[in-house]
Amino acid sequence: MKPLQMTEKDRTPVMPFRLSRRQLLSGMASLGVITGGPAFGQKRLIIPEGDFAPLPIAIPNFVAGTPSDGEVAVGVTQVITNNLKRSGLFAPIDQAAYIEKVVNIDAAPQFANWKTISAQALVTGRMTRQPDGRLKAEFRLWDVATGQQLTGQQYFTSPEYWRRIAHIISDQIYERLTGEKGYFDSRVVFVDETGAKERRVKKLALMDQDGANVRYLTRGTDLVLTPRFSPSTQEITYMEFGQGDPRVYLYNIETGQREIVGNFPGMSFSPRFSPDGQRIIMSLQQGGNSNLFVMDLRSKSTTRLTDTPAIDTSPSYAPDGTRLCFESDRGGKPQIYVMPATGGSAQRISFGDGTYSTPVWSPRGDYIAFTKQGGGQFSIGIIKPDGSGERILTSGFHNEGPTFAPNGRVLMFFRDPGGSGGPSLFTVDISGRNEQRVPTPGFASDPAWSPLLS
Amino acid sequence: MKVKFDKTLAASITLHVLVLGWGIVSFSTKALEMPPEESVPVDVISADQLAHVMAGMKSGKKENPKPLVEKVADAKPVEDAVGKITEKAPVVTDTAPPPPPKVEEKPIEKKPDPPKPVAEAKPKEEPKPIEKKPDPPKVDPIAEALKKEEKKPPPKPQVQAATPPPQKPKERTFDQSKIAALLDKRDPSRQAVAGETLNSNAALGLSKGKAADNSATWGSMFQSQVERCWKKPYGGIESQNPEAAFTIRLKRDGTLEGMPAPEGTPATPYLRVYQESALRAIIECQPYNLPAAFFDEWKYFAPVFTERKT
Repeated sequence: MKPLQMTEKDRTPVMPFRLSRRQLLSGMASLGVITGGPAFGQKRLIIPEGDFAPLPIAIPNFVAGTPSDGEVAVGVTQVITNNLKRSGLFAPIDQAAYIEKVVNIDAAPQFANWKTISAQALVTGRMTRQPDGRLKAEFRLWDVATGQQLTGQQYFTSPEYWRRIAHIISDQIYERLTGEKGYFDSRVVFVDETGAKERRVKKLALMDQDGANVRYLTRGTDLVLTPRFSPSTQEITYMEFGQGDPRVYLYNIETGQREIVGNFPGMSFSPRFSPDGQRIIMSLQQGGNSNLFVMDLRSKSTTRLTDTPAIDTSPSYAPDGTRLCFESDRGGKPQIYVMPATGGSAQRISFGDGTYSTPVWSPRGDYIAFTKQGGGQFSIGIIKPDGSGERILTSGFHNEGPTFAPNGRVLMFFRDPGGSGGPSLFTVDISGRNEQRVPTPGFASDPAWSPLLS
Repeated sequence: MKVKFDKTLAASITLHVLVLGWGIVSFSTKALEMPPEESVPVDVISADQLAHVMAGMKSGKKENPKPLVEKVADAKPVEDAVGKITEKAPVVTDTAPPPPPKVEEKPIEKKPDPPKPVAEAKPKEEPKPIEKKPDPPKVDPIAEALKKEEKKPPPKPQVQAATPPPQKPKERTFDQSKIAALLDKRDPSRQAVAGETLNSNAALGLSKGKAADNSATWGSMFQSQVERCWKKPYGGIESQNPEAAFTIRLKRDGTLEGMPAPEGTPATPYLRVYQESALRAIIECQPYNLPAAFFDEWKYFAPVFTERKT
């Protein structure tokens, strides 16, 4: 009894005292902030908003492992230099300025020599023909300021694929120095155009993204349009005007096989693969209208997605396959709509002046690119899937048919200057910077970028 | 009892230590930030000098009578100004109605004014205006008055004195349509161009003028130097608000004492690239040319490269 009382007595006076002490402590702590802050931390100097600047990078010629490898070593170096330069994010330094000649890539370079020419990154490499006939490619990426090796790889390949090796190395460098996936090891299918304007021959053609290794897939007897790459396989779908109505075809790049997708009455057009490559979505003509259909390539079963008295066309899936964007004139003028991939109610996302067409969803999912027509001009632009953030990247007499690079950072499109000439291909960063012409043998239109090959 | 007392004391001590320790650790990490600041050139002047600076036109002109032109052109009436001013004069009187008594007072006050202009530029003119009160005198005082931005009150008295009663009858009315007429539409630089009067504004810069940025603080000096080497990686159009902080120690000669120590590990590839680009810049741009007087401040500090808008 007694001790219990004692404790209770103790408690009552102590409790208020503790409270006040706590308050005192917190007060002291806050005092500590004032006095302790400057004493313990050093000055923080804010350096805000530097301007973006391309990274100065030195790419000396790769070392030839054997005397006969000199040519391929120089070739690989040039392809890498060209890739990085075209990206607009790097400023390769002219080889004439180099002080040091790299002869052995296994030893660390003399970084002082590279600092002198203001290089911030350095690529060294070696190409060696192996006894078994394969080609061995090695490279190292160095940080000149810290002397660290940022990345390094070696590859074995058949000698004829040396360009691909160069593209793969370019992607490695790009990814390590920008934090983004590269896009150099990819191909572009496009419509090659030759001949006079009235009798233009249009052939399906395939090339590396830098314009090399052009290869023709059709002979040009029939008109071909809107080729599209499969996201997962080496297949292309496109529209061809045969003897009757235009039809959607499927073409295997490796085997050269082609087949008609489905057998529908009337026109079928503007096909595109689903992200898994297992389905093709396209427009089917029905009287004066057209609606969206999706066809499963395995079961050949067809599902109708829209049923409107309007022209619904140019469908394109989101990379996750849950939604798709398309063009429709159900509101009067062609505009871009987004709807669930299984059909249902569509939501209009483009509200600017003029008409919007050929929407294509970025492989990253963050933007939808489109062609906009208005004010006597054709523009290429991007818009977020919720309809915000619209921006025009380029405008002119005729720009059309945007397609995303595999990393979603670059768009390719075709531009027709008008007159007696013909269209050619261009790339532009999705910020609107760094517009570049893509070299093609003749006129070119309707490009479609492949996914990364590796 | 003793045991209990000890417990409370121990509890108190541990609590103190905990709270204070927590305060030291958590609050000291929030260091003093140095936002980028534009330097402003500052002159230290005495009160006398300030008085001179703030003094009116009288003293200023007396001190340096002929600052702009060596030779004072022959005095000839400024035709444009005269025309405009005479037109304006009546309007001025309308808006601000000074009764006759004021007229008497103000002339006395303003007599000092006319002499000044005379002293400055138009010695020959002054006598004439004084003698011929009717027309020319009005011109000069008014022009001078306008120049001095005392437009309304000063000119009126003299104008009224010249043409006394006729104008007074007008009632004091505020005519909005005449506001425009009150504005001095003359070219502000007319005097210097004409060379007939000396331009009182002898300063090189104007009130809004800014002297060249002389980077008065070592912070802005460091920033401008490190930015030359910073090749900021392009982060796309979606802002990721990257930030990279380092702690660096500099020697007196402006070179790094050791490798800059990055704060924290970047969470995304882009943030890593961003941090690396800043690190490269810090290393590449040494030695830094910073004022030795502030060595204690810049021998150890934390540059923060950021895209965040605060």
